[in-house]
Amino acid sequence: MIAATQLARRHRFRWWELLPWVAGIAVFFAFPNYLSFATQVLITILFALSLDLVLGYAGIVTLGHAAFFGAGAYTVGMLAMHWGWHEPFSGLLAAALVAAVIGFASGMVLLRTHGLTLLMLTLCTMTLLEQAANMSAAWTGGFDGMPGLSFSKILGLFGFDALYFRSQYLYALATLFLCFVVVRMLVYSSFGQSLTGVRENLLRMHAIGAPVRTRQVLAYTVSAALAGVAGALFTQANGYVNLAVLGLERSAGVMIVLILGGYGRLYGAFVGATAYMVLEHTLAKAYPTAWQLGLGLTLIAVALFARNGVIGIADSLRRRLEGSAR
Amino acid sequence: MDPVSILLGGFASGMVLFIVSVGLSVTMGLMGFVNLAHGGFAMLGGYVIVLAMKHWGFLFLPSVALAFVTVALFAVVLERLLYARLYRATELDQVLFTIGLVFVMTAAVTLGVGPETQVVQLPDWLRGQTDLGFIKYRTYSLALIAAGVLLAIGIWLGFERTRFGARIRAAVDNRRMAQSLGVDVGRLFAVTFAIGSGIAAVGGGLGAEILGLDPNYPLRYLVYFLIVVSVGGLGRVTGVFFAALFIGVLDFVLKIYFPKGGTIFIYVLTLVLLLWRPRGLFGRRGA
Amino acid sequence: MLETRGLCKSFGALEVAREIDFRLERGARHALIGPNGAGKTTFVNLLTGVLLPSRGNVLLEGEDVTTLAQAKRVKRGIARTFQINQLFRGLTVQENLCIAVSERLGVGGAMLRPAGKRADVIDEASRLMEILKLGEDAGRRVVELPYGRQRLVELAIALGLNPRVLLLDEPAAGIPSAESHILLDAIATLPKDIAVLIIEHDMDLVFRFADRITVLVSGAIFAEGTPAEIAANREVRAVYLGSALDA
Repeated sequence: MIAATQLARRHRFRWWELLPWVAGIAVFFAFPNYLSFATQVLITILFALSLDLVLGYAGIVTLGHAAFFGAGAYTVGMLAMHWGWHEPFSGLLAAALVAAVIGFASGMVLLRTHGLTLLMLTLCTMTLLEQAANMSAAWTGGFDGMPGLSFSKILGLFGFDALYFRSQYLYALATLFLCFVVVRMLVYSSFGQSLTGVRENLLRMHAIGAPVRTRQVLAYTVSAALAGVAGALFTQANGYVNLAVLGLERSAGVMIVLILGGYGRLYGAFVGATAYMVLEHTLAKAYPTAWQLGLGLTLIAVALFARNGVIGIADSLRRRLEGSAR
Repeated sequence: MDPVSILLGGFASGMVLFIVSVGLSVTMGLMGFVNLAHGGFAMLGGYVIVLAMKHWGFLFLPSVALAFVTVALFAVVLERLLYARLYRATELDQVLFTIGLVFVMTAAVTLGVGPETQVVQLPDWLRGQTDLGFIKYRTYSLALIAAGVLLAIGIWLGFERTRFGARIRAAVDNRRMAQSLGVDVGRLFAVTFAIGSGIAAVGGGLGAEILGLDPNYPLRYLVYFLIVVSVGGLGRVTGVFFAALFIGVLDFVLKIYFPKGGTIFIYVLTLVLLLWRPRGLFGRRGA
Repeated sequence: MLETRGLCKSFGALEVAREIDFRLERGARHALIGPNGAGKTTFVNLLTGVLLPSRGNVLLEGEDVTTLAQAKRVKRGIARTFQINQLFRGLTVQENLCIAVSERLGVGGAMLRPAGKRADVIDEASRLMEILKLGEDAGRRVVELPYGRQRLVELAIALGLNPRVLLLDEPAAGIPSAESHILLDAIATLPKDIAVLIIEHDMDLVFRFADRITVLVSGAIFAEGTPAEIAANREVRAVYLGSALDA
């Protein structure tokens, strides 16, 4: 029974899973002048990975995921600004905690709804946080945010350098790796399997006696924590935070990144974030309008024809090849 | 400012919200289609009016009519070619598709007309102040309120008094039932979509004074349009009318008294309201 | 085993269940028949807790479960299949069954161990696939299967919950008649003390399967008895069997 052993083997480590990390280290040596940009890519990968857990696995369509990214970003920013808390690792943990609490609280309330209402509620929650950050200028710097934040050396050894992102890059890569290990574990666990069940058929999930909402809230909370870590990395690496971390643009952006890469497939975030950001970096600066036009057309095409993104296309090609080989 | 002026100002912006959003409410209620690109049709309408007046020598009212017709035609073409393929698709696909559409519209307008803010030239008879007896107020705002009320009455009559309206109501309440009774929901939707987009186009043009007009219009006001629709209840014309008025007035008041982030209350209110009644203030419960 | 007393349900002015007094005995093979729109599926929804009754009670082994949530009733042993397949369409047959079995064994929320290392779950899923002759399709996604095969997955999921009461809503609808024996065989392998309620239009199947039949018309019980009694009941023939034969 070849088929029956499929599931038993799926969680096993495959050789190509090393590739992203080898590539990540190679970038460090090959492109020392682009590490600032590469760090932003890593942060986006982590953010997209967190969204994949709710959108790709649990099937919760949200337009407000930047709420958690922003919560994390502002947490480390405010800690550094007002309480002199500059230590990076504990900052990440604090950000994860704050984002998780917000994720849990909002998830408990919002996930009772679905469809358009849920979409609206996630959107409103995020806009609410954005407006709150805008209003309380004394704490958050309001519209201008908090520029010029400093953080202490990582492990007391490697300092953040605003010009050369060497420390930031490795720090972000290590954090991404740790978070990825957690996500991978979750996704292949029974919990992850039941999330895909929630995504595929809610009615059936209820009918087999699964505590659907508990599962969704849990996934939402973990995802929020990871997004918070991504936001915290953003603030720490760049040394500033502003309202842009909380907007609809960031929410929609990360969703696009994930969809283009392929959602519900663990490595979609990697492919999507890298491809999107490299293209954006090279094209959007030079031809912003053409970039927007191209992106729009791509999204329309993806929605109409290629629902599973780049990895999805690769998958179906592979399946077709295997099919014809049989 | 005195309360009457505030109320009138709020009503005027509420009317703009109503005119733009009403089509969205009906089409979302009919098909359950998450259409984030609706504001794009309003924007296109605004641009048609600006171009018609500036370059093609149209007067104000004829350009408004032109905006309605061209955008409605454009909408029905899009609906048949693209939207119709996604009725059974997941919400996610609908979100992606309509966000993509917004990007394309924004980019197209930027390329074709330019990124700067456009001004709709008002005719003389809409400028200045009008004396209402008890108060003098901007003619334009008063005209907006009048237009909004007339439109609302017209749409309401169309809904309640025509066979076409009865079909829409039946389909909003229970699509499958309506289908089994022989209502061609697909065609119904195409027509509604065209009319709704056309009305939005009118709203985009008439409201340019209040909401402004530039390529980022659809994304900037997306949340507002969605709030109006979800608070009012999907497919509820009267609901959208009152929700738009309420939010228009509230927004107006908050911007005067709490210029820094006072709009936060609108989001709080929307959150609480949607949690209390997920189908909106005027939406049907259950089903 | 499972009992209802004076069960009523109405949607507005529409009464879909009227004063239903019904008993499903331990080990029963009970069929529920009736014309379209008689309220058969509604009745199943009331039993499983998808709908709450307007009046009346649902009792499981003498205990009132009228207001108990659906998930809790499943844990107490009520499992169902749907008239229209409700499957995890994008997942493989094996995964479909593993999700159900994990839930029954209470490991559905376990985060640390890979699902692929749960030998107990996987073995149980394999056993179910064997019973329903789904072994070949284990690794195929449900959406790729013909409808009849999907129907068997639907039943396998319900069996995977190890029910004491099994409610089958038109299980044979859409299964080619050549394969419907798989379904009956599968039900035959169930432990004898499981109570099975089947809603079915195929009278052949009903009379082969059932030792008791209830006829539901317009939301109310019209007749009840052994297959022989029901077949001999003139009114039933007039209301239901007759019209079914005419059709």
